[in-house]
Amino acid sequence: MTAAQFEARIAANTRLGGGYFCLELEAEQPTPVAAARPGQFVMLRGAWGRELLNPRAFSVLHAEGRRLTILAKAYGRGTQRMRELRSGEPMTVTGPLGVGFPDPDPEICDLLVAGGVGLPPLHMQARVAAAAGLAGKQELFYGGRDSEDLVMLEDFARWGVAATLATEDGSVGVRGYVTTALAPRLARARAAGERVRVLSCGPTPMLVAVRKIGLEHDVETLLCLEENMACGFGVCLGCAVPVHGVKPYRYCCTDGPVFDAKELRWP
Amino acid sequence: MSTPRSSGIDPAAVELGCDFGPLRLQSPMLAASGCFAYGQQFSAFTDLRKLGGISTKGISPLPRHGNPLPRICETAAGMLNSIGLENVGVEAFVRDKLPFLRDLGISVWVNFFGTDFATYIECARLLGAAPGVDVLEMNISCPNIKHGGIEFGTVPEVAHRLTRACVEVSGVPIVVKLTPNAGDIVGMADAVRQAGAMGVSLINTITGMAIDVRSRRPRIATTYGGLSGPAIKPIALRMVHQVATALPDLPICGMGGVLSGEDALEFLMAGARCVQVGTANFAEPGAVLRITAELRALMAELGLARVSDAVASLRPWPPEAAYQAPPAGDVST
Repeated sequence: MTAAQFEARIAANTRLGGGYFCLELEAEQPTPVAAARPGQFVMLRGAWGRELLNPRAFSVLHAEGRRLTILAKAYGRGTQRMRELRSGEPMTVTGPLGVGFPDPDPEICDLLVAGGVGLPPLHMQARVAAAAGLAGKQELFYGGRDSEDLVMLEDFARWGVAATLATEDGSVGVRGYVTTALAPRLARARAAGERVRVLSCGPTPMLVAVRKIGLEHDVETLLCLEENMACGFGVCLGCAVPVHGVKPYRYCCTDGPVFDAKELRWP
Repeated sequence: MSTPRSSGIDPAAVELGCDFGPLRLQSPMLAASGCFAYGQQFSAFTDLRKLGGISTKGISPLPRHGNPLPRICETAAGMLNSIGLENVGVEAFVRDKLPFLRDLGISVWVNFFGTDFATYIECARLLGAAPGVDVLEMNISCPNIKHGGIEFGTVPEVAHRLTRACVEVSGVPIVVKLTPNAGDIVGMADAVRQAGAMGVSLINTITGMAIDVRSRRPRIATTYGGLSGPAIKPIALRMVHQVATALPDLPICGMGGVLSGEDALEFLMAGARCVQVGTANFAEPGAVLRITAELRALMAELGLARVSDAVASLRPWPPEAAYQAPPAGDVST
């Protein structure tokens, strides 16, 4: 589906605690974002005048018809303003952009490894799988600093997707990093001859760890990355991602944001 | 001071077609180099055939892969970039990108650069010979390459020799894109004019820096980057005005933080004959046409029927404008 830029209004802005918020946007017409796949993203910009110039990139959490929902965390100047938005306020949307995750596969179990605000593409993958009767082929590994970093768990429970949780302070699930649980799961799959793949999104240090574990176990590992980007459609060239091959860089916005772990030129 | 009041005219009656040296442009609003790639990505969002023209990503003789990460960061009313002049190189550009631009039927400005005299001249020769190139926009001002770039743009004698060498081989008009980092912008403009440049583009980005205090790292991997966006508009306007005042016959393409029709009109009034839109394209791929429509409406409101009615139409303040000078002898108190 070709991307478009269109105007939308805030239909709901729900605070989830810990700086997290769910922003629901509504356009006047059905939008091309409704066709977004898990991992695809939109660029969002509010009526910010001249001070904040560039839109911000957000994974699509859910989109249908005229509606689009994203999950974000107030962190910088843009997301702090977005957290304060009220119903009816305008926002410019560009999307859907990028290349997302592959479709759920009845023969493969998707291990969804999420860190904090990196949940949306994996949430959408689980939703799509559940709708196709494949919830049993999805397993969530979700980590954060504390309980406030683990949001929307009830959706996974409703879909029947098993979840392994980890927090650094031990308030929910096991104490420590979510990646700790991943290696034994991959080892078990190998022993049982089970086909699995890893789909992951979260902070870069977590993705570095996920990549390492995935490569060590020789399991297909797909990482959904985040980079600074001014445009989102392949023009500013700000979101270069170092890769192996003839060309040293590919672009998070048009070649990704989902990349095969093998391809990345990472430590 | 009274504002000049003109009776408004019908926006449809405003003639946006304008002259830039020997060129006829259908509109004074062009897309700026480095902010529009080679045009294709924008066709999903906007009608490229209505643009005044497109200035391409800077082309070098050989492909360049660009700088390490991070390459961009947003700043107050602007952004820093250090992309590193990544481009596909002359050969791939002429083969894969130029036909699309040529078929649009608008003015095609190919921005180019080299890393020394020989590569600049080679690039000018190859691009000048390619069908469909209307202007070669010579970048002697990019802050993001280690060799060339900045010294070509800051020493008038070097800029003069380089321009003359490229003019001799190009076969199409050369517009030299100058850097605001030059000490004497009028001296630079005059140097390239005397070397045969058809016009000048003013301005490229201004070297800047931003720091992440938590990591204590520069926000750009190369430490310094080029600042663009509305933050630099007053500087760009000043430079356009200085050059237009000193060299009134030299066509100037003005740019720097243009986000609205009013911004564009400011550049025309300061003395630019056409205007490029850069950073605005990132947030809004339809920016050039939205700004063009705003310019048309504003010109109509002000009774400006033609672009040339606006160009260099600045009215000076009268000498005794706002206050009386204090009596002599009073100043030391």
